[in-house]
Amino acid sequence: MSMEDYDFLFKIVLIGNAGVGKTCLVRRFTQGLFPPGQGATIGVDFMIKTVEINGEKVKLQIWDTAGQERFRSITQSYYRSANALILTYDITCEESFRCLPEWLREIEQYASNKVITVLVGNKIDLADKREVSQQRAAEFSEAQDMYYLETSAKESDNVEKLFLDLACRLISEARQNTLVNNVSSPLPGEGKSISYLTCCNFN
Amino acid sequence: MADNLPSEFDVVVIGTGLPESIIAAACARSGQSVLHVDSKNYYGGNWASFSFSGLLSWIKENQQKTDVSDEWDDWRKLILENEEAISLNKKEKTIQHIEDFCFGDQDSAEGVEEAGALPKLPVFGAAGAEGFAQESEEARAAVESTVPESTEPEKATGTEPASAREGSDAEITSEDTSSHSAALGESAGELGQTEAAVPEASAQEPKKITYSQIVREGRRFNIDLVSKLLFSRGLLIDLLIKSNVSRYAEFKNVTQILAFREGKVEQVPCSRADVFNSRQLAMVEKRMLMKFLTFCLDYEQHPEEYQDYENSTFAEFLRTQKLTPSLQHFILHSIAMVSETDCSTLEGLQATKKFLQCLGRYGNTPFLFPLYGQGEIPQCFCRLCAVFGGIYCLRHPVQCLVVDKESGRCKAIVDHFGQRISAKYFIVEDSYLSESVCTNVHYRQISRAVLITDQSVLNTGSEQQVSILTVPPVDLGKPAVCVIELCSSTMTCMKGTYLVHLTCPSTKTAREDLEPVVQKLFNVNTEKDAENEELEKPRVLWAVYFNMRDSSGIDRNSYDRLPSNVYVCSGPDSALGNDCAVKQAETIFQEMFPTEEFCPPAPNPEDIIYDEDEIAPEESGFSNSPETKPEASTEEMSSGGSAAVEKADNEE
Repeated sequence: MSMEDYDFLFKIVLIGNAGVGKTCLVRRFTQGLFPPGQGATIGVDFMIKTVEINGEKVKLQIWDTAGQERFRSITQSYYRSANALILTYDITCEESFRCLPEWLREIEQYASNKVITVLVGNKIDLADKREVSQQRAAEFSEAQDMYYLETSAKESDNVEKLFLDLACRLISEARQNTLVNNVSSPLPGEGKSISYLTCCNFN
Repeated sequence: MADNLPSEFDVVVIGTGLPESIIAAACARSGQSVLHVDSKNYYGGNWASFSFSGLLSWIKENQQKTDVSDEWDDWRKLILENEEAISLNKKEKTIQHIEDFCFGDQDSAEGVEEAGALPKLPVFGAAGAEGFAQESEEARAAVESTVPESTEPEKATGTEPASAREGSDAEITSEDTSSHSAALGESAGELGQTEAAVPEASAQEPKKITYSQIVREGRRFNIDLVSKLLFSRGLLIDLLIKSNVSRYAEFKNVTQILAFREGKVEQVPCSRADVFNSRQLAMVEKRMLMKFLTFCLDYEQHPEEYQDYENSTFAEFLRTQKLTPSLQHFILHSIAMVSETDCSTLEGLQATKKFLQCLGRYGNTPFLFPLYGQGEIPQCFCRLCAVFGGIYCLRHPVQCLVVDKESGRCKAIVDHFGQRISAKYFIVEDSYLSESVCTNVHYRQISRAVLITDQSVLNTGSEQQVSILTVPPVDLGKPAVCVIELCSSTMTCMKGTYLVHLTCPSTKTAREDLEPVVQKLFNVNTEKDAENEELEKPRVLWAVYFNMRDSSGIDRNSYDRLPSNVYVCSGPDSALGNDCAVKQAETIFQEMFPTEEFCPPAPNPEDIIYDEDEIAPEESGFSNSPETKPEASTEEMSSGGSAAVEKADNEE
């Protein structure tokens, strides 16, 4: 991965129960698609979309759970170094809403305490099957200090808004943190040209 | 969430330690359908890392000697007449002699819980850490009631950036490391060269950390059960790079190599720059050391230099070289890291060369350490497996392996729900095998200690050092003790503390093996009765000792009645690097699938082009053929979505 033309890069991680539409949200946003009966995204680690906000290029790296949420077996390392978390439930599924506290506990445990969390109620196109009222969700999100939004990946309602608003908040967060220099740690494989000989030169 | 598992896979992997996880990833990557289970509620088995409270529960659990009785026997009904069952362990017995000690004022910590439980206390350095951990019950209540009471603890959830910013600057600094280095680092030109540039708030008076602070900040700790480092040219780094798994983890350089000589901790100069900048070495010593290290780098070219000593020990060989005693000590114990009594000249030269070759790839020591601990690494391979369709179930004990009497091959497992799951290959971690299978197996043991201390063993300019120190044995013939000291920017301990890991192959109990070293390096007295001299040493705030089974290097024939399609993975070995686990994983994978490539690079998500996405769902049929292709595993599965992989695979 070489130097690219963007001003910011953020890692956004999706969590929430299986079947709430996490993958659909990502695919709607990154590809503009809502694949009916969409299958697993095998071999796809994360999706990328670069957006422009106030003239600045923001690259969003959006990570999906790879199905590990199905049996409650998400790796802790999934949460590490995320800049934002999108906690998703299905407005037509009470159970997916009831599980939110458990997800929040995982966030508390493993994510950075500076992570921005957004609560998303998906599937508003299925309004007649709604089980979770907007008021309950709004109250819950307020109590947890989360930004809250309802979306429809199918109708593309609020999907752009979700990611773009998030990008804006991430930018302003990042700006406030630029006082502190980033400490990069070396990543293996990231094209380091310091070969042994040039660095230490025992020969 | 109670989903049913499919009942057929290509490969079932039991245990989520490093070798099992690598195998699972390699299998899924090559298109096998994989079920990966662990009986515990955490990843990694004996390779796991824990928060402080997590470690305390782990200790408690391992101190309870109670056996889980087989209260449920119905699974036997699932075994057919021409089959037999090999039952697996319900409770593992790989950890012994656990003793933990608190040197702080434990009473003051009475009733203190991990951050979140007491949100009103002025939490040390981290307003943002307050919140949710223990509050799920209340929060759940809040979810369920239509008008949730916004109680204080819930308001204090750490996700609100404004409240996080109220913490001390230093705290925020260290958090930034975690949240931005992966993301932004990609574009940063200086990636990898910047080391611990965290501005230190060193002007402040050193704070005394109390036990209750450790408890409260427990989540800042990621305490590894095994203590290992990655050799920067070791097999694990190569595999991480080759497979692209490296993108799931972040690493930090070990910043200094230390030696313990004549009762003192000193820095070992090992790179050329170190040698020349060293203040402890005289000019003549610098030349000697450089000359010798340069020779080691291509010793094969100069057999005349060492062939007379091929039957001697490396220590004896070093004595014949023009090296002062301190240089001999550095080379033997801190660079080659070999035994004084039973390492041959050639082995010593090899080890020295390996060390030198690893220098400079990522920094001026040969080692990397994963942020958040070694326990992240198995999980990273599990993520790769899941990305390629592997199905993950923690908290999923397995009752037995089902063996076909006629062929002697394993056909299936029966899990604790009584579901029978068939597969072609089975990978089982050693600790899952019951005693009846392991009667003839002789295990070695590893002695481990983990300490939380308040200072580094060597005070240098920077608080943020990651150090490795080899303490030679007092009695010749005993193993040296490897000490790894981690600072808070490794994300394994709270600010103001150090996490110290001690490891050696066991000769006795862990405490007997390691306590003498702890007493030499640290002050284990409570403040009041410590001598002056003791006060200069780092104070131990908390410690645990335990012995862990070393199941590495066991011949598969020592296991009794093992079906040919069941492969055993060992737990962690006592070596510093991870080569043993990687080798084992690759060997097992190649035995199963001799023609498949081992962990080829996963496609880069940025290179995947989704132009085939419009294909009608009927066309793909991807998930209809679990025999040959990884089964779809995420939500809303039925069909479609395969274009991405196929496209990506074509592009490699």
